[in-house]
Amino acid sequence: MAEVLRRVLNRGSAAGIAENTAESGPPLLLLGAPGSGKTALLFAAALEAAGEGRGPVLFLTRRPLQSLPRGTARTLEPWRLQKIRFQYPPSTQELLQVLCSAHESTGPVPSLLLLDGLEEYLAEDPAGQDTTYLAALLLDTAAYFRQRAGPSRQCGLIVTLQTQEEADGGEALQRALLQRYFPAQCWLQADEASPGAQGFRVGLESGGPRPRAEWLVTFRPDGEMTITSRPNQTREPSLDKSSSSRGQL
Amino acid sequence: MAVALPAVVEELLNEMAAAMRECARSMAFLFPRLKFVFGSSAVQALDLVDRQSITLISSPSGRRVYQVIGSSGKTYTCLASCHYCSCPAFAFSVLRKSDSLLCKHLLAVYLSQVMRTCQQLSVSDKQLTDILMEKK
Repeated sequence: MAEVLRRVLNRGSAAGIAENTAESGPPLLLLGAPGSGKTALLFAAALEAAGEGRGPVLFLTRRPLQSLPRGTARTLEPWRLQKIRFQYPPSTQELLQVLCSAHESTGPVPSLLLLDGLEEYLAEDPAGQDTTYLAALLLDTAAYFRQRAGPSRQCGLIVTLQTQEEADGGEALQRALLQRYFPAQCWLQADEASPGAQGFRVGLESGGPRPRAEWLVTFRPDGEMTITSRPNQTREPSLDKSSSSRGQL
Repeated sequence: MAVALPAVVEELLNEMAAAMRECARSMAFLFPRLKFVFGSSAVQALDLVDRQSITLISSPSGRRVYQVIGSSGKTYTCLASCHYCSCPAFAFSVLRKSDSLLCKHLLAVYLSQVMRTCQQLSVSDKQLTDILMEKK
């Protein structure tokens, strides 16, 4: 689901061209270390999609958000929040149950499926058959929503995954496995160049013809998020490390 | 009630039979290419299709899942929407080693979609949930 995230980032930075594509794009994996703003960005995508006038947003996460991320000022409107359905499956089994029974529920079909914290559901079996099936089911559920919504409708899928600074062998294998199902990736990385405020670099690769795009997300002390776009930079060594380890497998 | 079909219907049926034969001939030309791309999986997949080993399971909701009876008699679950099969060959060669494009069961599913030949089974929404939950 690269496109709704791209819209959030472009709109937030006010530097983007108004993109009115109804296309949801490929499933997207949002990666970053703990505290790098993944949940905030995911929530911003939820608010954006909620405002687009299509179906509701299904937001799955293990634990209820302690406080709602502030988002960008323009999007935190109550009516948008009402279109976000939260569910909190406490275990992998429960998450599987939610996905497998998604077709049983009546009511409007979600236009965006979000999962925050995939790593919490993979802990038991990092790179095995269960991981594969969970990834496949996420895609299958989004595909089912897309099919139910009709020919012109879309259903996007964004999943966040916490990464460690030093990826070990098992985690790299898991990442490679997930990338088979999630062609688009968005990397969040702390930005050393912005002391004081908390800044993070966002790199988005849609897995398609579009080149990698970058933004800078800053969280003010009151929690409000501002986004500025960065012109395409030459790849820096720290970012290269994460993308080259991806290429090895 | 007429015993013999009207001539126009007979003629139509004959034309359709001829078209099917022609189609079978064209299909036959594609099989070597299939073998080239997929190797031995192609023959095994075609065999699975021939033996009617693929079942499309759907429920009133419209959600679908495929089940394939493998050569060993074991049933595998395939998700065509996103390319997944529960067989060990898929897990090993497609995901880890990345040297195969498809396992023979997934190939059989795609072939049966193209050739429009597979068993169909309707189940309730709840039963479909159970099928999806049970197979990983």
